[in-house]
Amino acid sequence: MAKEVQSAAGFEPKIIAFLCNWCSYGGADLAGVSRLQYPSNTRTVRVMCTATISPHHILKAFQKGADGVLVAGCHIGDCHYMKGNYMTIKRVAVLKELLRFTGFQEERLYLDWISSAEGVRFAEVIRSFTQKIRELGPSQLKTSYA
Amino acid sequence: MEYKTVLTTCGYCGCGCGLYLEVLDGELVGTMPCKTDPVSQGGLCIKGWNLHEFVNNSDRLTQPLMKKEGQFREATWDEALDHVASRLKEIKEKNGPNSIAFLASAKCTNEENYLLQKLARAVVGTNNIDHCARL
Amino acid sequence: MLERVKELLGSGEIAGFIGLKLEYGHPEPYLFTKDHPEDLESLLVGDVRYPLNKVLLKVANQYPELTFGVMVRGCDERGLTELFKWNQLRQDRVVPIGVACPRELAEACECYKPYPSQWLVGEKTEGISKSKRLQKIEGMKQDERLSYWQNQFNKCIKCYGCRDVCPMCFCEVCSLEDRNFILTGKIPPENPTFHLSRAVHMVGRCIDCGLCEEACPSNIPVRTLYKKVGEIVMDVFGYRTGESAEGKSPLNILGEVTLELSDVNK
Repeated sequence: MAKEVQSAAGFEPKIIAFLCNWCSYGGADLAGVSRLQYPSNTRTVRVMCTATISPHHILKAFQKGADGVLVAGCHIGDCHYMKGNYMTIKRVAVLKELLRFTGFQEERLYLDWISSAEGVRFAEVIRSFTQKIRELGPSQLKTSYA
Repeated sequence: MEYKTVLTTCGYCGCGCGLYLEVLDGELVGTMPCKTDPVSQGGLCIKGWNLHEFVNNSDRLTQPLMKKEGQFREATWDEALDHVASRLKEIKEKNGPNSIAFLASAKCTNEENYLLQKLARAVVGTNNIDHCARL
Repeated sequence: MLERVKELLGSGEIAGFIGLKLEYGHPEPYLFTKDHPEDLESLLVGDVRYPLNKVLLKVANQYPELTFGVMVRGCDERGLTELFKWNQLRQDRVVPIGVACPRELAEACECYKPYPSQWLVGEKTEGISKSKRLQKIEGMKQDERLSYWQNQFNKCIKCYGCRDVCPMCFCEVCSLEDRNFILTGKIPPENPTFHLSRAVHMVGRCIDCGLCEEACPSNIPVRTLYKKVGEIVMDVFGYRTGESAEGKSPLNILGEVTLELSDVNK
């Protein structure tokens, strides 16, 4: 199986995190200011609202070799633009099912709501997601027949 | 007010896929594959799908153009053909027949391509004839 | 059907009827008008299907104040329902004339409703509720599914046939032609981004007519993919594309949130 080619040891995942300016990016800032330690595998992309994240962006991230994609926005009801995160959860729900159907590990796409006061929680989410991707291994696009 | 589809064959390559050109009020607006065509059976490549675009395109040449004083100017067919014939003769005499090469096209009919290779082989005397599909 | 079309044209209720005309032995899409009644002799229903809704869109955009008739099967009617909701056509300017699909076609399409709400030609056949195509893919393990789809998508020659023939694709600027997204000069196109992004665009739009798969020169089972999209939309939003004249498509409206994170991050 092509998947077992890359061994677990020495693999550092590349994770793209889309964070909304008002809540999750604020949470990330708070984690930084509080000197909380978390793995440095994540590259963040700050967007004004998670509703601006199109499935195109997520697919492009995976196509370019991201091992995992994290989308973090405001809690439902707290969106700075009122209902932006309604669209996000709908889009991510559909995209995850589609990824699963075409054979991709849909756990590589993760959606969470993190507010700007949740610095500790942000670090925890990054820690657990990085660990999950480390266990899943490198992106299937790198190792599968393609 | 008129909309009709005209059954025709794609002119781009030797495959000859059957397709319909959509005509709305005398203007070409689109292309649709012919599903009952035994060759293409409803499939088309990207060139076939856009067959309607080049027909009335403003980029198409309508008159022969000759370079005079560094700029392309319109010329008559006679002027252009005389110039081409005399220059080809000169080049053939000076450098030999193999210094000239001919490039045929998939957009031409088989008969036109036959004439071109006859021109190359019998008139000019060279085997340097090739086809754009090989590029 | 011929009688009904003659009646509608004669009374002036419709300015033209979009159907199929037999010419040189091939059925081709055609706009029948009152000015050429002799054309009506070649009108036929036939077994070949063309995206007549797409023709209707072209003609209606040219003549927005006129009313047109169009031949519809079950899937075409679903398409019209959605096009009305997406504001591409006006319901009071379209007169559909229904055709019910025969058993063989319904089975080949695995159509859940192979008949429109009213029809003049054909007999009602039962729809197929569970698709064997989907069952086959769902039955595969994840690795098998991945290599199956990767192999299929690698056959793509980027002809854009699936998009060009789709009666629900009406966008003037297509994301698949964005050069930053899908690079030019590369065959096969980004695997799987090209097809997955088209599938996402088909959410709440795909009416399962199957013209995409029939137009694909590489025989990629794109219809199976979009059938799955339809199933996902049903499971997640309880919405069936083209079924109801009320209520917009789930990704076309902000709406209310009915999902929890736990539903999404299974």
